[in-house]
Amino acid sequence: MKRQKKKTIKLANVLAPLIFLAAIIGLLEIYVAVSGIDARILPAPHVIFGKLFNRFGRDLSRDFFYTLKVILTGYCIAIPGGIGLAAICSQSKLLSKAITPVIILMICIPMLTVVPILVLRMGLVIQVRIIAVVLQALPVICLNTLSGFRKVESSKIELFRSVGASRWQIFTKLIFPNAMPQVFTGLKLGCIFSTIAAMGADLAAGNSGLGTKISAYSGSLMTDMAYATIIVVALIGIILFMVVAEIEKKIVVWIK
Amino acid sequence: MSFKNICKVFDKGNDEIVVLDDISFFVREKEYLCIMGPSGCGKSTLLKIAGGIEAPTLGTIEWKGTEYKNGIPKQQLKNFGFVFQQHNLLEWRTVYKNLHLNLEIFNLKGEEWEKRIMEMLKLVGLEAYPNIYPHELSGGMRQRTGIARALVHNPDILLMDQPFGALDAITRKTLSYEMLNLWKKTQKTMLMITNSVEEALLVSQRIIIMNKQGKIVYEIDNTIPVEARNESIGSNEEFIKLRKKLDGIVHDIQK
Ligand SMILES: Nc1ncnc2c1ncn2[C@@H]1O[C@H](COP(=O)(O)OP(=O)(O)O)[C@@H](O)[C@H]1O
Ligand SMILES: [Mg+2]
Repeated sequence: MKRQKKKTIKLANVLAPLIFLAAIIGLLEIYVAVSGIDARILPAPHVIFGKLFNRFGRDLSRDFFYTLKVILTGYCIAIPGGIGLAAICSQSKLLSKAITPVIILMICIPMLTVVPILVLRMGLVIQVRIIAVVLQALPVICLNTLSGFRKVESSKIELFRSVGASRWQIFTKLIFPNAMPQVFTGLKLGCIFSTIAAMGADLAAGNSGLGTKISAYSGSLMTDMAYATIIVVALIGIILFMVVAEIEKKIVVWIK
Repeated sequence: MSFKNICKVFDKGNDEIVVLDDISFFVREKEYLCIMGPSGCGKSTLLKIAGGIEAPTLGTIEWKGTEYKNGIPKQQLKNFGFVFQQHNLLEWRTVYKNLHLNLEIFNLKGEEWEKRIMEMLKLVGLEAYPNIYPHELSGGMRQRTGIARALVHNPDILLMDQPFGALDAITRKTLSYEMLNLWKKTQKTMLMITNSVEEALLVSQRIIIMNKQGKIVYEIDNTIPVEARNESIGSNEEFIKLRKKLDGIVHDIQK
């Protein structure tokens, strides 16, 4: 009885966003048909999806893999970087106070402004885009992790003192696992920030990548292809987010 | 184990507050000693000092023939087990792994220690739940896990800070009977804070009572025979007499 209920809830959780998305697409379809809006401004969804299926392999796949590489590499550097930086900062209250405003500043800086400077120094190399992703994702992971590291109940510290635990044992067996929910909040935000940063870098240093494609397509009024590319970008972000959320469910089992 | 002239002073802004004022007492080996006193009088602070969680500002602790000036040192903590008022289990560890924590910290390896985890769970009636997470347990089961954890590294003395304080009345009563049996079975020294006169009379051999100023003002021998400590303890003459006396004292020191 209980298990069946659980299954129904699970199914509903999957279906609800799908139905919602379908409803939006449906409404858009109706709106485009009824209003007779210019296809160069807003093409009908079925046209966009059609383009996506027909032209992805030929026109988008190369840039897709390029952007995916940028996002994944940057993200994978940002994870240990952000958590490591948070671990170092958590060792001293003064240090974490000193560094927090800088981290917030880094989150706020649009990559569109930083990338041209990097390109001037390094040229149009893939590393520039990876750096942009790291610069955007690392601070958001760091900030969330740090807030998790600070959220330790004093009674738990007392438990570890009552058994004479070392600083290292307190960190690895208490502070770090205790911060897992916040770490994952940072990791999920990091997925989104990585994707945004990769797009920003593409727009600023345009020779390859899906962001470059978007600006090129909209520049030449191929609006349907521009939207098709945006969908691909969004899918990268969403799928990355969902993978991390699934891992979170496996690890953070104690919060329902 | 004995405490000599223990003082504890906390800084509060520019002020200093004296929480423990010249406390001296002793705990006999294998004794069950209860500490009572109004809330805020420093009972928890005293127990934390006894368990090496805090160091006293002044005073010494004698343990196994050695005098310690700055509190119980780390390498002696293997001999102590601490039970907290709020179970204090790690949410991300199963019941088994919560007990395992102590073995990890004390570096106790080997099959006999893994076996001891299951023995301790059996002792507190949780042998069927080693792989359950704390949030899936009832309040009483969590507290039992906390007690098993305090015992798993085989300490000589168990320190308990109102271990049943957060439980409902019925569970509380059941657990205090279990605690008495546990003491008989394991022959450990027990030092327990409680705010219940009945509980103290059921389990203890001696009761010390602190006043609001953080001084020990009474020490009472619990003369109720161990055989009489069962469901019908309420009708025991000695129990009725001592309860009256203690109720009076507890009432007086609240002032
Ligand atoms: N770490 C601390 N810093 C400052 N004051 C404290 C600290 N721990 C306890 N106190 C104070 O010491 C007093 C006694 O606390 P406690 O030992 O918990 O009393 P009890 O357990 O008897 O209720 C309280 O007034 C409390 O505010
Ligand atoms: Mg207390």
